[in-house]
Amino acid sequence: MTLAEKMLRLDRRVIFLLIGVCTLIPLLYPVGLAIKVSPEVRGVYDYIESLPEGSVFLLSLDFDPASKPELYPQAVALLRHAFRKNLRVIGMTLWVSGTGMADQVVTQTARDMGKVNGKDYVFLGWSPGVSSLIITMGQDLYKAFPSDYYGNATKDLAVLQGVQTLRDVNYVVSLAAGTAGIETWYVFGKDKYRFELGGGCTGVIAPGLYPLLRSGQINGLIGGLRGAAEYEVLIDKKGRAVAGMDAQSVTHFTIIGLVILCNVFYLSLRRQRTERPS
Amino acid sequence: MIFLRRQLPLLITFVTGIIFIAQYYVPHPASEELLTTVNKWLQIIGGFALVLGVTSLFHQHAVKIRRREPGWGYSFVLYAGMVGTIVVGLAVNGKESMDGGMTAFGWIYSYTMVPLQGTMFALLAFFIASAAYRSFRARSREAAVLLVAAIIVMMGRVPLGEYLVPVTGDITQWVLNVLNASVRRAILIGISLGAVALSLKIIFGIERSYLGGGRE
Repeated sequence: MTLAEKMLRLDRRVIFLLIGVCTLIPLLYPVGLAIKVSPEVRGVYDYIESLPEGSVFLLSLDFDPASKPELYPQAVALLRHAFRKNLRVIGMTLWVSGTGMADQVVTQTARDMGKVNGKDYVFLGWSPGVSSLIITMGQDLYKAFPSDYYGNATKDLAVLQGVQTLRDVNYVVSLAAGTAGIETWYVFGKDKYRFELGGGCTGVIAPGLYPLLRSGQINGLIGGLRGAAEYEVLIDKKGRAVAGMDAQSVTHFTIIGLVILCNVFYLSLRRQRTERPS
Repeated sequence: MIFLRRQLPLLITFVTGIIFIAQYYVPHPASEELLTTVNKWLQIIGGFALVLGVTSLFHQHAVKIRRREPGWGYSFVLYAGMVGTIVVGLAVNGKESMDGGMTAFGWIYSYTMVPLQGTMFALLAFFIASAAYRSFRARSREAAVLLVAAIIVMMGRVPLGEYLVPVTGDITQWVLNVLNASVRRAILIGISLGAVALSLKIIFGIERSYLGGGRE
């Protein structure tokens, strides 16, 4: 067996080990390269920045723990920005398996920013229906969520004063790991109830949402861990996302190196087989 | 019997479909009230669908355990996990925290479900690297173009790539905003037209697969 054939049949455990090492070392010894902010992420940031104090910001955390590494930092960055601007924050989720995590991120970030539940923010939790829920919220928020996640009557909460339907919400951002997510919020929410919509998503589904971004259906898109890192740079509060970018850089380059190596061996083997006399 | 199993559902689908197509374009308060009421019903039915799903799962795995089919041990673990979580969840009324402290349900969620789901997703990174090594080969001109584009985008999406070759960032932005957006838009339009056609077929009773099988 030639070297090229051996390398093309490389045991995948070697690749697993390489990826593991390339992810671990930059996390232990970070470099901290500069992160350029993209127009997509700046779109969300600039819109929140333009909202006056007291505006209503709805953050829908539509993901489960599987997408926590990418979307949790996005949620933290967005909530920090919203609380810093003294916006009235409504948290909720369309994914039942993400409810606990969504509650954790909203409560913890609010606590860090000195915000009070019921007065500065509310976490509504989850309710069944997905598209039906969004439509019901668009018709009457209090019918969709008669109480918040902790059982407090939503009609009595100071933070929801003057908010009857989704039409009274100034900005909605959906952090989505798939369906139900940004497209659901647009089709059943923004299209009928005319609120401004932004999005955050995992890196895998980000390319699929560019048509919505280009047509103005969403005014910004935070894509993956890179998007979260860009947002952390914008709010000047570096966190987990920026910390993860070094590891992501090295891992990407490792995969690029492996792919180039594989093709060098593949093309060399193909040439050998062509040149070999029959 | 045929009327109840075939014709009545078709009639309900047709009438409801037509009403709610019209509802979208009628801004009258009665129309909005109808939408609110029906959506509330849909939410209630959605809640019952969860119960149905769990019951079906229970039954499927109970059969596997009873018959000692291959892999019945995993079914037992699933059963124990589900029953345990449901009992604990009901005992604390579904609350993950109470009076500032974490409940047992919260413990199960934070210390088993969250790390387990995160681990499953994290494993993908290793498998993607291995799959990329085995399959990203320039077997043809088209494959070579795909390969070059993938390498440029992978470089352009990380700070190290933009630092070493600054133009990769701009090329990545162009690929995503122009090439990718246009192709995705074409696919979305196709899917949407297909969804409209399928919906109309269902409303008019041409497509009946949702009624299920069985003798007429």
